[in-house]
Amino acid sequence: MSLIAIARKDFQETVRSRGMIALVVLFSLLVAAFAFAVRPTAESEQFATEVLLSVFIGPFLVTTLVPLVGVVVGYNAVSGERESGSLKLLLSLPHSRADVVFGKVVGRGAALALAVFAGFLLPALVLIAAPVVFNGGAFLGYTVFAAALGVVFVSIAVGFSAASSTQRRALIGGVAIYVLFVLLWGAVTGRLVGAAGPLVDALPVSATQLRVFLRVSNPTTAVEALSNAFLGEQLFSGETANRQLSAAAMLVFWTLAPPLAGLLKFDADDL
Amino acid sequence: MTAIELRGVTKEFGDVTAVRDLDLTVEDGEVYGFLGPNGAGKSTTIDMLLDLVRPTAGTVRVLGADVATDGVDVRRRTGVLPDGFSVYDRLSGRKHVEFAVESKEAADDPDALLARVGLADAADRAAGEYSKGMRQRLALAMALVDDPDLLVLDEPSSGLDPAGAKEMREIVRAEAERGATVFFSSHILEQVDAACDRVGILRDGELVAEDSVEGLREAVGGEETLDVAAAGADDEAVAAVRALDGVSGVTRDGDELVVNCDSDTKTEVIAALEDAGVAVADFHTREASLEDLFLAYTEGGAATRDADAAASAPTEGEPTDDATDDDSAPEEVDR
Repeated sequence: MSLIAIARKDFQETVRSRGMIALVVLFSLLVAAFAFAVRPTAESEQFATEVLLSVFIGPFLVTTLVPLVGVVVGYNAVSGERESGSLKLLLSLPHSRADVVFGKVVGRGAALALAVFAGFLLPALVLIAAPVVFNGGAFLGYTVFAAALGVVFVSIAVGFSAASSTQRRALIGGVAIYVLFVLLWGAVTGRLVGAAGPLVDALPVSATQLRVFLRVSNPTTAVEALSNAFLGEQLFSGETANRQLSAAAMLVFWTLAPPLAGLLKFDADDL
Repeated sequence: MTAIELRGVTKEFGDVTAVRDLDLTVEDGEVYGFLGPNGAGKSTTIDMLLDLVRPTAGTVRVLGADVATDGVDVRRRTGVLPDGFSVYDRLSGRKHVEFAVESKEAADDPDALLARVGLADAADRAAGEYSKGMRQRLALAMALVDDPDLLVLDEPSSGLDPAGAKEMREIVRAEAERGATVFFSSHILEQVDAACDRVGILRDGELVAEDSVEGLREAVGGEETLDVAAAGADDEAVAAVRALDGVSGVTRDGDELVVNCDSDTKTEVIAALEDAGVAVADFHTREASLEDLFLAYTEGGAATRDADAAASAPTEGEPTDDATDDDSAPEEVDR
């Protein structure tokens, strides 16, 4: 199948990328260093894998670095080939433009997931070697959430890349995606809700509900909410079950909508 | 069946018209040379065949299907060597061909294809390290996957050395013999001479001529140039030749006579010389250079053929300084 052929080609290409390998090594070393630094010092202290992940590694490393790797992997997916001319080689073969965009989401998403797993390997070894109780299941599960977060960002970046006619625009888009979702989401949405105060009053939802919705609309916070629930053994249950559901729905939305929107523009373009 | 059929195709980029109301038909099994200077609209036309660029007006049908709706099916049966492409730097040559095989759901052996284009030794190297000529060969190998019904080659010889260009021509010939339709573009006429059944010349987005190479040559002027090694030809002999019908000019250059004449007057020229007592040691005919022909169509109107022929005919009494000498292949005539 055409999409799979492109996905495989892109996967092979991405895992050979020096930039991505460098980022994964950096990520792995940082996580391992964190794990080593916050390990229990006294023999009696209980050390929980869950605490390490949800309090230290999650907010400081995963939600900042994994989206960065995702954007780096995705931003040049289509525009890079378009600018270099390899897209001509690609579209000389029997592929539709939809195959190209979604093949790239799948191939690069898979490469990123592999990279996240590889990046968590060294920290896992550190934790296993350290004299602490290591919860392998929680660690592995958390890795899955981290990978999912990365895939969402790959998807957003590929969508933007498909819509961009030049690498420059795609790069600006990639930076904008990162800044918006990782650094400024709270500030931007907070301001929007504030500015739209009268409008919000007219809606059948309270401002608080809206803020909660906007919070989980950000893939970063959505993954955080889900992974914390998972580590607290309350995944899709407990008081936040509804919130988690909307978080999961938003992740699906962010995985599918940007590539579709990008495809709309890409499909209409002369290449 | 018709391999390529363009009807009233126009493509505008902003206020620039790259292709203007183009009608073009390439029959099944034909080898068609698509010629024109750089910027004439050749690549835009080819991009429209592949649905990379959508026409502003008109229809493009390839292998019986509309590329706007059935582009993927068309490309499944088409092999393409694009112009101005680049390779995947990090992937090996073999990976490239494997990708093409997988994309076409074909069963070809990538190594056999690489060997056919002369890249067997470089199969495992990353394509980013390939030279321009090797990249060209690699793309050709990808184009040959699954024995396509149609080969579209955009400037196939670019980046190739003369030996590589010759191999390219041989592969094109072999594919044509297999029954494939070959459509290729070039801005160098010499490359198409031997290979083409028909030639179309594009200028400023319009097809200004379409014929066999022979036909085009005739249209521009059926004249040939005859080089005669005739030591001892005196003025009288020259005058006798000049007096013949069909001879438009005679130039003496040392022991050599250069005669411009109709192609069927050749024997009479030799006979006239021998009648005048001149021993003809050897002679060659030279056809009008394709380059002249090409320039006639792309720079001036070909309709001004008489003027062109007159301009290119060396004037009497002056030593020949025929710039086309280098390009034209002398044809040995056995007497």
